[in-house]
Amino acid sequence: MQRYVSDPIENPAAGQPPFTRADLVFYGVDHSGPSFEARVYLNLPDADISTGHDDPAYAGSFTVFGHAGCAGDEGHCEVPPEPRDPFDRRPPHGLTPQTRTVIVTDALRRTSSPDLVVTVVAVRPGADGPVAADVLHFDGFRLLTFS
Amino acid sequence: MSTGTVSPQHPAVPLRHRLNIDAMTSAQLDAYRAAIAASMKISDERGYGHQAGIHGLPLPISCEIAHGRPTFLPWHRAYLYFFELTLRAHGADVTLPWWDWTADRRIPNAYARVRVGGKKNPLHSAKVAAAALAQGKRSGDVKAPNTVRFPGQPGSPPLPTAAQVEHVLTLGDFLDFTAQLEQLHNNVHVWVGGDRGHMSDIPFAAFDPIFWAHHAMIDRIWRLWQLRHPQKGVPATLLDEALAPFQMTVRQTLDVAALGYDYAVRAAHTNVTNH
Repeated sequence: MQRYVSDPIENPAAGQPPFTRADLVFYGVDHSGPSFEARVYLNLPDADISTGHDDPAYAGSFTVFGHAGCAGDEGHCEVPPEPRDPFDRRPPHGLTPQTRTVIVTDALRRTSSPDLVVTVVAVRPGADGPVAADVLHFDGFRLLTFS
Repeated sequence: MSTGTVSPQHPAVPLRHRLNIDAMTSAQLDAYRAAIAASMKISDERGYGHQAGIHGLPLPISCEIAHGRPTFLPWHRAYLYFFELTLRAHGADVTLPWWDWTADRRIPNAYARVRVGGKKNPLHSAKVAAAALAQGKRSGDVKAPNTVRFPGQPGSPPLPTAAQVEHVLTLGDFLDFTAQLEQLHNNVHVWVGGDRGHMSDIPFAAFDPIFWAHHAMIDRIWRLWQLRHPQKGVPATLLDEALAPFQMTVRQTLDVAALGYDYAVRAAHTNVTNH
């Protein structure tokens, strides 16, 4: 997908004691394609590639340093299912999905609403301007606060 | 930060220091350029093309444990160490320079100049291995035969700032630190390469000569973190992980002095010839 807009989630910080840090943790991030930046916004469901880093709703980003496709034969880039054979001592497949943590402490402190909508926009660079691309794939995310 | 530390195994032998590319003397820069140029003429495993290909194409892509994993920093420290050793065949005291992209927020002049002294600047561009180009084409990743850069294109992530680096240096947990530092690292790759440059993608990034200066900066930040958090480090469960294809474990990468180098901004060395 080019962008992701979450359903409203409960703001874990609303009405709670102050926190020292807040993380948005994205699980199962695909990195098999081209590189891109995933910009994260809070409570800005209309954010798109024209929405910059200086928007008040901008919370942070993660950049995928991509593999840009599969150069091997058929099956080369297929991640084997887990759990693997207990005697298989090889490291995990290189394209095993990754976890990315975006520290959103400041952005979450600016938000007092009881619900949050998380928008993630995939952006690729281009000579004529930011480019939207269907490169964003992840399994889910978790919002964590720490005292 | 300068430490002036010594090697634990060879305390009487001076360490080599990796220097800021923007602070190197002409002689130091010339020596580095000469070593890179000589390396580029070698077609076997000692040469630039083979060394660059370890990171990505041609297959196998050997950095499979090096991105998005806790071995990101140790793997790349080993990679730089062994590449630097190949350069020593062309200059006994050659070290990799580092690019401080928090201060020099463009391609450093040493890498941007197309020609130097009437000759092609080997730091500006490098030839990409033909097998890598062919395999990239097969995957739809068609690249130019010589490395190119499109720095700061619209839509690129911004270069990391000094404040961001300072923030990651405050993180006291290694896994937290390495994950956040890797993000800054990724931003620089895409900022340099843009939409079609070699630095933007894992398969071709290491062919660009600026790759090594970028990663020396990342390795330097890890060194600074180690100095700031001497009681903390890589989790014990990772220490004996092998860093294939290098014959080195995570544990063996922890002490840069044991590897014979450290980081400084500038260095001047004088030998006393008359006692």
